[in-house]
Amino acid sequence: MDPLFEPVVGEWKRNSPRLATVRRILTLVFSAVFLVAGIALALLLPDDLRWIGAIVAAVALAGAVWGWIWSGRNQRSWGYAENADDLLVTSGVMFKRLVAIPYGRMQFVDVEAGPLARAYGIATVTLHTASPETAADVPGLPADQATALRNRLTELGESHGAGV
Amino acid sequence: MSESSPAVTEAVGLRTHPLTGVVQGTLWAAAAVFGLFSSMFSGEGLNGINPVLTGFILLFSGLLIGMGVGFLTWRFTRYVIDGTELRINSGIITKSSRRIPYERIQSVDIAEPLVARIFGLAELRIEMAGGKNSRTSLRFLKLDDAGALRRVLLDRTHGRTTADEAPDEQRSIITVVPPMRIIIGTLLSLDFLFAALGTVGVLIAALWFGNVIAFIGGIIPLASWLVQIVGQRVIQQWDFTLSRGERGLRIERGLLSRTSQTIPYDRVQGIAIKEPLVWRRLGWQRLEVDVAGYASQGSESEGNNANSTLLPISDAPLANAIIAELLPGADPAIGNRTYASPRSWWFAPIGFRYRWVAANAATFVASEGWIQRTTSIVPHHKTQSVELSQGPLQRRLGLATVEVHSPKGPVDADGRNLPADAARATMLAQLDRAREARS
Repeated sequence: MDPLFEPVVGEWKRNSPRLATVRRILTLVFSAVFLVAGIALALLLPDDLRWIGAIVAAVALAGAVWGWIWSGRNQRSWGYAENADDLLVTSGVMFKRLVAIPYGRMQFVDVEAGPLARAYGIATVTLHTASPETAADVPGLPADQATALRNRLTELGESHGAGV
Repeated sequence: MSESSPAVTEAVGLRTHPLTGVVQGTLWAAAAVFGLFSSMFSGEGLNGINPVLTGFILLFSGLLIGMGVGFLTWRFTRYVIDGTELRINSGIITKSSRRIPYERIQSVDIAEPLVARIFGLAELRIEMAGGKNSRTSLRFLKLDDAGALRRVLLDRTHGRTTADEAPDEQRSIITVVPPMRIIIGTLLSLDFLFAALGTVGVLIAALWFGNVIAFIGGIIPLASWLVQIVGQRVIQQWDFTLSRGERGLRIERGLLSRTSQTIPYDRVQGIAIKEPLVWRRLGWQRLEVDVAGYASQGSESEGNNANSTLLPISDAPLANAIIAELLPGADPAIGNRTYASPRSWWFAPIGFRYRWVAANAATFVASEGWIQRTTSIVPHHKTQSVELSQGPLQRRLGLATVEVHSPKGPVDADGRNLPADAARATMLAQLDRAREARS
């Protein structure tokens, strides 16, 4: 762990590895479509153009491998920490970032979960401030943890409340 | 039906001015014709259409449909002002009711589009923070009524429940920017020079080579850029008057469409000082202001919004006086700066020398740019969030970027490519300062 992106106090709370699973399923489905298309092209095109199908299939396979690795690494890079006054969120492997949002600046908190995420019992918590640049989302939290975090943040936001 | 006093509270609510439909229809017709012309000039699918005839058809159908829809909309729109909020009920088929709590109002502006001005009408624009639909408009009211309603809303916003007749505010004019000065300033700004030279160059080239197609392709973007610059910088900033009231600054501007903006003192989220290359030699600068809700309108690019102009052109003493008034304790010439690391010359061979961040007790200041220098000032208690980021190249060079986020607008307080440890220290210090400022 890079000391530059250590939390101010305490440890990062991590999200669930199930996020990686969900993303891998999505990647595989997406790649499979291209793979099938590539194989179909390779079989249907005339002999001298078969390489096009082969390239599509190869790119699909490479994408699947890359997506598999990326899902795992990216999921492990997420973390959040609740300080006395701010929520800290970190993410990224190549492009690391650390965002700190004072509780009193929160406008509202969202919890979202798509059908696949719901099946795996995870959800994304997103914080909104008055600034669109504030990219404070924590994906892949277990559903109960996500709800608890949202409720806690909402309460903290009210108690620290400051007008815009 | 005309309203004598807009502060009347009824369950039924009040209607806007009956001529709303007429104005709305004219505006839509104008938009339709304008759309036709712009698509004609960009040469899209107008083969074999008589442009004049089409123009007339569009104009009339636009007028008819616009007035019809405008009338119905007007017929079904009512607004209610009570002790806690402004409610606007509208909708012909699907009823909608919008509630605007007074304490969430960021600013109240009065706009008079050209057509509405002819009828002596005005549009009241109420900005709330956040989101895409943060602007609420009441179209159209009599100008006096709009002014009275604005006074009432601003009074309520600041927690004063006045009697129904709010006294006229005492205002003192700070400065009037003469149109001549704005024109000179625009002529001396680089983007205008580029656009103008480009246009002239394309004209000459087209005449020289006699190539019409290339001429059309080159002239359209350049000319529209030119028109946009002149429109935003000159026509919209005509007769720019900045005055001071007890609750905020008031801006009145515009040649064809007048706009009157109110910026309450405690709603300023940040100020950006822009100093284009040529202006710097003359000691001129432009001030732009971040007010939550202003920039989330339309597709206007960041900071290219006539709404957020606080002073179109000014010398340093006046600009500093106004900054001090809006953000007490701000100091654009702040000391103790953290400069971007010399190791970052890869990213900006010349620019890195001009990037720095600094903070004093009241504000966070970030500056960058050597062609146009932009200095952003964010008061600590308006810090929305702070971000530290680092890409792979920055990691190899031991650099990091720190950003202090403010609501969308011209103010962008970013310290790019600072030494990594300094960036982290800046971030933590900023969080502490923001916390102290809020408490």
